[in-house]
Amino acid sequence: MATRLKIFLPFGLLILSVLIVPVSVMLISSLQNMDGGFSFSNYHQIFFSRYYRGAIYNSISISLITSLISLVISIIGAWALTKLSLSTKNILITVFNMSSSFAGVPLAFSLIILFGNAGVFKAITSTLHVHDALNIYSVTGMTFAYTFFEIPLGIMFFFPVLDSLNREWFEVSDVLGASKMFFISKVIFPIILPNIVEIFVLLFANAMGTYETVYALMGNNLVSIPTVIGSLINGELVANVPLACAFATLFTVIMTIIVWLGNRVTNIKGRRIS
Amino acid sequence: MEKHADKVIAKIVITLISVYLVAPIIATIMYSFAKSWVNTILPDGWTLEWYLQLVTNSDFLSALVRSIILGIVTTIIAMCCFLPVVFYANVYDESIKARLRFITVLPFTIPGIVLVTGLVRVYANLPIPQMLVLLLAISLLSLPVTYQALDNAFIAHDFRAMFEQALILGDSPLKAFVKVVIPNIRVGMFIAMLLTFTSAFGEYVLTNIILGGNYETLKIYMYRLMQSNGQASSVLTTVYFFFLAIISIIMIAIMKRQGNKKVEEVGDTKKL
Repeated sequence: MATRLKIFLPFGLLILSVLIVPVSVMLISSLQNMDGGFSFSNYHQIFFSRYYRGAIYNSISISLITSLISLVISIIGAWALTKLSLSTKNILITVFNMSSSFAGVPLAFSLIILFGNAGVFKAITSTLHVHDALNIYSVTGMTFAYTFFEIPLGIMFFFPVLDSLNREWFEVSDVLGASKMFFISKVIFPIILPNIVEIFVLLFANAMGTYETVYALMGNNLVSIPTVIGSLINGELVANVPLACAFATLFTVIMTIIVWLGNRVTNIKGRRIS
Repeated sequence: MEKHADKVIAKIVITLISVYLVAPIIATIMYSFAKSWVNTILPDGWTLEWYLQLVTNSDFLSALVRSIILGIVTTIIAMCCFLPVVFYANVYDESIKARLRFITVLPFTIPGIVLVTGLVRVYANLPIPQMLVLLLAISLLSLPVTYQALDNAFIAHDFRAMFEQALILGDSPLKAFVKVVIPNIRVGMFIAMLLTFTSAFGEYVLTNIILGGNYETLKIYMYRLMQSNGQASSVLTTVYFFFLAIISIIMIAIMKRQGNKKVEEVGDTKKL
């Protein structure tokens, strides 16, 4: 018992001090008003203010679109990756790994070089006299920016799934006279559907929690859940930590439900197949 | 015939995706060597001036040192907290692993910006060094990566037998762990340490909000430069990128060597 305690003590203390206590306090103070009394005023404020509703709307729409696009591209990318030779695979996995860790300030900066107001893309479109439809400093621009780390992340999640599929299945269905489309839609798709759901959920959640890239690109000019939380803590609008807590709690509750649902879908499907 | 067509399509797809993902990185590297690059498709000329400027800048060196310190201390904390638990879970009680599964979704349900809200609420006004709060919090955020890498280190050997034999031979548990277990997981541990170090080295959200401008790490310095001097910032970003690249290459090399060894080992046992 004593050794067990020793083993778990540092880990337990860490989890307690920087996870359980702060998250619990966050939950509690989201239900307090400025004077410390119990109230739903923070949540009331979030749902009845057009500004805060806009933050929720922006976060959800950016994340939804970017993760759907990235999901499709990363399935295709992961499939293509399985067709390549082992050494090429290794190199590409390193490349994807690096481009996903490039997210944040470095990515924001390089996107400004490429698509900013004095950037390469603007130069190309003005020499070609094409109308430049992309404004990187906008909701659409953000949706686009997120794909630079969502796609590599998606590929790295999907690759092991597709790589483990049994190649003989295709030969069997081919011998039995099934077309390639039939094989993909009736055999492969049902098998990887739980993984698709799971990976979509992870990509969505990852996009929802993205702060560094948005903040570095647009400061607090893009209103999303993370940037609102950031400015409420930093006091760039008016510091209101309880309101930030309410936002953060809302975020955690929604994400926990979505991730949990995603896991459940995966488990049920997984069981049915086995 | 169809297989060949597949391969060609696969190559085209991968090339397109790679070009798309690598374009920002290439642009940054080019920008760092450019004399000036405003409103033109290619830079006006090439120079090393910005590199010299950055390397001789004392702000850069102190930011680098701060990031390295952050990385090293976080790695030590993370190892002290997680190594014993992962060891125990793998060797004595596999059922703990199921309970530790929540760790893998932690960064998705509680990302940095959410965690920092709670941390600020609890610790901002307490008389404890905020640096300590930051170090512990970054260790926690690195947990999923560290945990996974450490967990992989324990595949392959019968650590229970090893550990218990050392105990019977009279070693204290700590001594047995250091003498018998650690040498056998040193490669996996090294990878876990590299990953933890990298995540702490590049941390931005927590450092910026908890310590503000009081502790300017590489990323915070990068952000400040980005506002004032684009060229210098691109040099810093390039340096940061090469740092990431070197770490990935080291890791791939180690894992490849390990992989080969394992294949050989399996081959040997099969022969027996």
